[in-house]
Amino acid sequence: VAALEAEVLVIGGGSTGVGVARDAAMRGLKTVLVERKDLADGTTGRYHGLLHSGGRYAVKDPEAARECIVENVILRRIASDCIEDTGGLFVSTPWDDPAFGDVFREGCRATGVPVEEIPVAEALRREPRLNPEISRAFSVPDAALDPWKLVWGCARSAQEHGAQILLYHRVVGLERDGQRVSGAAIRNDLTGEDLRIHADVVVNAAGAWAGQIAELAGCRVNVLPGKGIMIAMNHRLVNTVVNRCKMPADGDILVPIRTVSVIGTTDVRVADPDDLEVTQSEIDEMLDEGEKLVPGFREARALRAWAGARPLFSPEEVADTREVSRSHALLDHRERDGVEGLVTITGGKTTTFRLMAEVAVDAACAQLGVERACRTHEEPLPDSEDGHFYSLGSRLHAREPVPQSEELICECELITRHRLEEAMERRHTANLDDLRRTLRLGMGPCQGGFCSYRAAGILHAVERLDHRAANAALLSFLQERWKGVHPILYGDQMRQARLDDWIFQGLLRVQHLPT
Amino acid sequence: MTHDTVVIGAGLAGLAAALRLAEEGRRVLVVAKGVGSTHLAPATIDVLGFDGEAVESPAQALPQFAAAHPGHPYERLSVELIAASIDWFKSRLPLSGYRGGLEENVVLPTAVGAAKPSALVPETMVGGDLRAGGRFLFVGLGLKDFYPAYLAGNLAGSGVQARAIELAPPLGRETDVGSVGFARRFEQPAFREAIVRELAGRLEPEERVGFPAVLGIRQAAEVWRELETRLERPVFEVATLPPSVSGIRLFEEMTAALRRAGGRIVIGQTVVGAETANGRVEAVVAEAAARTGTFRARSFVLASGGFAAGGVELNSYGKIREAIFDLALAGAATNGGPRFLPTYLEEQPLDRVGVPVDDRLRPTDAEGRPRYENLHAAGATLAGAVPWREASGNGLSLATGYAAAGAILEGDS
Repeated sequence: VAALEAEVLVIGGGSTGVGVARDAAMRGLKTVLVERKDLADGTTGRYHGLLHSGGRYAVKDPEAARECIVENVILRRIASDCIEDTGGLFVSTPWDDPAFGDVFREGCRATGVPVEEIPVAEALRREPRLNPEISRAFSVPDAALDPWKLVWGCARSAQEHGAQILLYHRVVGLERDGQRVSGAAIRNDLTGEDLRIHADVVVNAAGAWAGQIAELAGCRVNVLPGKGIMIAMNHRLVNTVVNRCKMPADGDILVPIRTVSVIGTTDVRVADPDDLEVTQSEIDEMLDEGEKLVPGFREARALRAWAGARPLFSPEEVADTREVSRSHALLDHRERDGVEGLVTITGGKTTTFRLMAEVAVDAACAQLGVERACRTHEEPLPDSEDGHFYSLGSRLHAREPVPQSEELICECELITRHRLEEAMERRHTANLDDLRRTLRLGMGPCQGGFCSYRAAGILHAVERLDHRAANAALLSFLQERWKGVHPILYGDQMRQARLDDWIFQGLLRVQHLPT
Repeated sequence: MTHDTVVIGAGLAGLAAALRLAEEGRRVLVVAKGVGSTHLAPATIDVLGFDGEAVESPAQALPQFAAAHPGHPYERLSVELIAASIDWFKSRLPLSGYRGGLEENVVLPTAVGAAKPSALVPETMVGGDLRAGGRFLFVGLGLKDFYPAYLAGNLAGSGVQARAIELAPPLGRETDVGSVGFARRFEQPAFREAIVRELAGRLEPEERVGFPAVLGIRQAAEVWRELETRLERPVFEVATLPPSVSGIRLFEEMTAALRRAGGRIVIGQTVVGAETANGRVEAVVAEAAARTGTFRARSFVLASGGFAAGGVELNSYGKIREAIFDLALAGAATNGGPRFLPTYLEEQPLDRVGVPVDDRLRPTDAEGRPRYENLHAAGATLAGAVPWREASGNGLSLATGYAAAGAILEGDS
């Protein structure tokens, strides 16, 4: 069995895990990160993309609100390329008590979240599709945050600082040396090979799966996976993040991100974070709530629905996951369980991932007996050095000076053949969904209708796949696309899906291909 | 102006019905919101390619298939009628040079190298018939919608001798050239010259040569013949992603024939409703830019397509509706359960949804009676079929369009 040595082994490739790996590597620690699937395959890649101002938690969860606004300011500085500075609104619809606005404003002030009540007319001028019956509107510094750019930016930075990142490497066991965790047994799920990683400290950043990892060391961590569903609408129905001004509930946020707007979300406790079904009643609830914010919401084209599992840490058992703090939880198992060499960081949210990484690496350093200062709040991520925010037209702007100079393989997301081939060579993957997470392949209105065949054909050539592997790549991508499309098939997206049926089942007849 | 028949929809079903009626001297108007399925799907006439297994002879398979699928449009059509529609169609499109018939399916490679049976194929595609055996070379042009090495890999995996080469044809300053762009270039002698030159010395003896289906639009027959002559071997086209160049040729040839026969065609007007009285459709109302038009006729053919074309709609509450006449629908297999299943390649509960019809292809109500005496339906609007899985799309459209026209002619006499 092959073996690796590390000072810090990070488990989990979501925003927290890559944040920990970056932080540890920047402090000069020899760091290895293992992720059982692809980066941001879990909760990070399945959220609505909101960079919280803290407004959402100002009344209910002041500690979470304080953390959010501090990190909001830091991320604008270090991760500008991942952020679109949309601003945010909290609005009182006819279904919301206007008096809550006063409570909300006080909560924001008490937690340091900048807030300003603006005239309803101004809010409607800014967002003409908003329900004209709103009675109050408050402006806060919410923004849109691209989770994939963020995670890949952290991962690249971590690698530049010497960290090693191993994808599709699953933890099958934690090794105990008496009362000390000394490393992990790892399985490479792509090759089937086993690997042993010896580590001085293991940081469990497995999010909603953190309880499963801690259990491997005999520690009990009560992480409640809270299912949240989201629907991406095919247009920017709003250009500002819009929240309902009320206590946090279901379907009360609409986030404009990239070319879509995402409505979310729900919060349902589930047993298994790998088993998240999107139900028709949840879809209907989102659409009905969407109507309250933007009349005509049901007539707009929905692109895709999905669910993510929030990692909510609770010291005790609770019934309603909305009652659990959105603040993060650091568990030093040396103090807590008498198990050395293991730190769990869970709870929290992508907005506070950097802070979570900082406190986790602080705890790791304490266990290692070294004192090194965190610098992640100072050093920008790759591509964010110039401090410019992303804007909706960025990609088109980059392409426009050279019109028709290169083939577009995914017209929806403006992915050129060169970018696709370059990503295939860099990622060296036989999985088109990895390329989706890297490039947004297949995430536009046709949901892979045109690019799936092209990408499979190019993958066949670039990776020198045999026909069966290329078929498997194509078929699994189609299934993955269908998974998110079928819950919201109606209107124009139904037309699109039927066209895609004609292409894949009628024209190409992929159902007959051997894998 | 009053027409004898107004046909709604300019896909193959609508055009077939209109052409047959116009040939019989009827004053026909085709009204469509846009071009139809012809521009998306290949021009092969697939009557029945799969009934579980691949179908070798549609003529033999059809009676049993129809019996096993109650409510399928083929239940309403005799094999003789389908055969007549095919003979009629072949004779009306000499330019496309259709080959084949109902007795035996031709088996063509798809763009991923699966095998697809078709009853009738344009002459530019017939050289790809896999049943003939032999050796195949697939030629890539850098077209992003065609991957010959992947295609050849799958064919080779199923025992066909196949290989691929990529050419780098001269495209000028433009590099993101699609199927239609390539088709235009193939109509230029210099471009063909460059292709032939690049291929020279790279062909193995007896190899048949497959190109993506972009060998010209109006001059396709000449382009294809010239390539066969100069390469001294069978040359054929492989259909690929939309837009479909072969389908555009089909549309062009059919609409030309329709105009020659005195039919009119209006594209860009969306039929949104109808005026009805005493169990008859009096007129249909169409919207165009900033105005509406009313088209009166003695009979009407609804060929507005299924979900893909917008002839049948599904809203966010799960309600399904025929978009123009709000006709009764049949074929839903939801039984109170989900509208869609989680596995993509399964047959889906809404796949067979459409308009049920009587033996004269008139949409029927819940009691099975014709909803309007003078309204007929054809093509993908009809309930009961899953044409993209059965490989029956153009065959169904052609036969039902032909049959709807026949029912109207019969009713007149």
